[in-house]
Amino acid sequence: MRRELGMLVALVLLCLGLWLSNGDFLGASNVVNTTRQVSMLGVFAIGISFVIITGGIDLSIGSVIGLTGVLVARLCGQYYAENPAAGGLGYPWWVGVPVALGVAALIGLAQGLLITRLNLQPFIVTLGGMLLLRGVSQTVVKGGTLSLGDVPLARLANGGLFGSEGNALLPYPFLILLAVAALGTYLLHFTVFGRYLYAIGGNREAAEYSGIPVKRVETLAYVISALTGGVAGLCYAAYIGQMSQQVGIAYELYAIAAAVLGGVSLRGGEGTVLGAVIGSCIMRVIDNGINMFQWMYRDASGVRRIFRLDNNWTYIIIGAVILVAVILDQAAHLVESKRRTRRAAASQGG
Amino acid sequence: MRGISKSFPGVRALDGVSLTLGRGEVLALTGENGAGKSTLIKILGGAQPPDAGEILIDGRPVRFASVRDAKRAGIALIHQELMLAPNLDVAGNIFLGNEARPLGLASVLRRGATRRAAAELLLRVGLQHGPDTPVARLTVGEMQMVEIAKALALRARIIIMDEPTSSLTAGESQKLFQIIRQLQADGIAVIYISHRMEEVLDLADRVTVLRDGRHVGDLARGEATHGKIVALMVGRELAANYFPPRPAVPPAEPVLVVKDLLVPGAPAPVSFTAARGEILGFAGLVGSGRTELMQALFGAVPALAGTIELEGRAFLPRRPQDAIARGVYLAPEDRKRHGLVLPMTIVQNVSLPAIGGQGWGWLDRGREQRTAEVEVARFRVKTPSVRRQVVNLSGGNQQKVVLGKWLALTPRVLILDEPTRGIDVGAKAEIYGHMARLAAEGLTILMVSSEMEEVLGMSDRVVVMRERRLAGILGRAEASPRAVAALMTGGQEASPAA
Repeated sequence: MRRELGMLVALVLLCLGLWLSNGDFLGASNVVNTTRQVSMLGVFAIGISFVIITGGIDLSIGSVIGLTGVLVARLCGQYYAENPAAGGLGYPWWVGVPVALGVAALIGLAQGLLITRLNLQPFIVTLGGMLLLRGVSQTVVKGGTLSLGDVPLARLANGGLFGSEGNALLPYPFLILLAVAALGTYLLHFTVFGRYLYAIGGNREAAEYSGIPVKRVETLAYVISALTGGVAGLCYAAYIGQMSQQVGIAYELYAIAAAVLGGVSLRGGEGTVLGAVIGSCIMRVIDNGINMFQWMYRDASGVRRIFRLDNNWTYIIIGAVILVAVILDQAAHLVESKRRTRRAAASQGG
Repeated sequence: MRGISKSFPGVRALDGVSLTLGRGEVLALTGENGAGKSTLIKILGGAQPPDAGEILIDGRPVRFASVRDAKRAGIALIHQELMLAPNLDVAGNIFLGNEARPLGLASVLRRGATRRAAAELLLRVGLQHGPDTPVARLTVGEMQMVEIAKALALRARIIIMDEPTSSLTAGESQKLFQIIRQLQADGIAVIYISHRMEEVLDLADRVTVLRDGRHVGDLARGEATHGKIVALMVGRELAANYFPPRPAVPPAEPVLVVKDLLVPGAPAPVSFTAARGEILGFAGLVGSGRTELMQALFGAVPALAGTIELEGRAFLPRRPQDAIARGVYLAPEDRKRHGLVLPMTIVQNVSLPAIGGQGWGWLDRGREQRTAEVEVARFRVKTPSVRRQVVNLSGGNQQKVVLGKWLALTPRVLILDEPTRGIDVGAKAEIYGHMARLAAEGLTILMVSSEMEEVLGMSDRVVVMRERRLAGILGRAEASPRAVAALMTGGQEASPAA
């Protein structure tokens, strides 16, 4: 938990700094919007953490988001008689949502089975899945965009509890994140299944020798990951309103980065749901902060000017933050093992 | 080497060890498992830095930051598990890392020159194959010669061999000894690590004995005898009561009946039985197929054919889950790899096989904590808390956690593969005590051990394996060190398999 606490402190300091530089950072509309972004990322960052904790990786989650979004837009989007290709088929949400989530779960199952039953590497299986599913999305949208139109599902992203429509105090994605986080915490930290995930990530062979059904547990991790991708996909479809083949590209990398920032180790066997959520917060706050950050100063001739960060810096800053985080993590591990050796020497020598 | 010390998590591996080596001298380094031989040569070979002490070559102190440094100083280390790239040919391996490279990594490989140089070296070590034979096609003995050729290519002045004969046939060993004498004649010093006394006495100019990380004696060629070396190796702590007295097991119904079991990689099937309350020892050299047999009984690497009967019912595990469901548990040889999840706590490790019993739902943390506390108390695991990560425990305490994890369930047959490897003497005696008590309570124990004393001290009967076959089964009365060793090595006294 020390890692999570450290990142939480970093997050608070980051927010404080941004608020000092620009009071609008804590303005209602920016807070609600950032919360929505954090929530959607958090949902699938939690899912991918299940896979990373087993020592695996899921590169397909961004494509799963794209595909479920496209599917739900096709099924539930408003029907435009004059141009059917630009909209959906007009089915109610209770048809589209289960179908989209079912497809996501099947994708996870297929990938999990390939990885565990055929002993294929997670990296290559999910890389294949990522490309293949992206292609499937393209065939569904036929290269264009699908408009969700004015259907109940569209309120999923912008509606919420308390406050006016479109600017709710608690947007639905945030409530979804809370639900996913609660369920994820229960599964990961309070069930036998969760313990098995850590054991597999900590030492796969010892887990097998302890009688753990390694393959089944691991397969389930991929199903969970893909399912959270599906949930996030629904939110993004509602949020964007216009689904194209572009939605979800590179999101797997954001999710991995968020998880790692929150202390989910790619070595496997380490990490918490809370950490994945904090990592998601940091990712999105940095993203938002690059837009919000400003610095007032007077130039040489005494004229007041405002310094702002160039948007092109986004990737540079996020990349640097991730590298610094893993370097700190590695340093902490080194210190820990040094201390262990010293303690051993002291206890034996005496 | 002077005053070398080294510690690892949980162990003080070396404590002020000094070692001298003359030009062209063959020094045998002996000691029990865990005495610190491997650590000492790793330090000399530059693979690990010492915590204290210094190394002098020709009177000049040297510091090795890496294996590369040590090689440059003329020290070549040949590991017990050979370190060759099987996908490359012989010549490529001999010069691996030592290629002529005037242009750094961009240099063109000079295959012609390499081949000629390799052929010359192969002649010196007496290898019959050409320099472009793929290494994967060589026998272990031939690979060893490639390793020696590799050392010669470095113009090594000191060659260290770690248990070089452990997986060689008698003929191959003889050939190796010839090469060693040849090296000696060329002025190259050899440090030779071996458990086999005949080899040590035959080859060495001097014998250095380590025990528990300390240098306990040096014997010159004339004064070294088998008895003296063993006395130094085991020290005085090894009193007769080291092994708990065990009453002879009255003939009982066999609990486990193994019939014509064909283990993957074995040339022939094996059959044996084990009775209630019996400790059945498995002796053999490294690579004699004992571990593989145990893995087949545990379902980790399922058997290809044959039958097993457990308590009168058929038992053919396809995976560890099947064996665990029937009460057959394995404490594996490599406990860090197969036995424990090191970053997890004692509680989590002990409960790992048990928690799945009620499905995958809510985890009863109170119960797992209580179970772990019971096991920690039973085995007297030295730890401040059951919530400590097992990576922080010493080898002996880790092994006790592995045992605790299985005894928290209901064992019918307990398989112990090298139960005391790398464990200090005190913990060893404790583990023997537990084994004797469990057997007296009616548990059947299969114990694989490479320590002759352990096999003879603990077993009711001894199954001896050789080259992945069952070489013979000896009762307690017949199982003398000589008889077991003869079966292990295929000597003259071999009796037909029982």
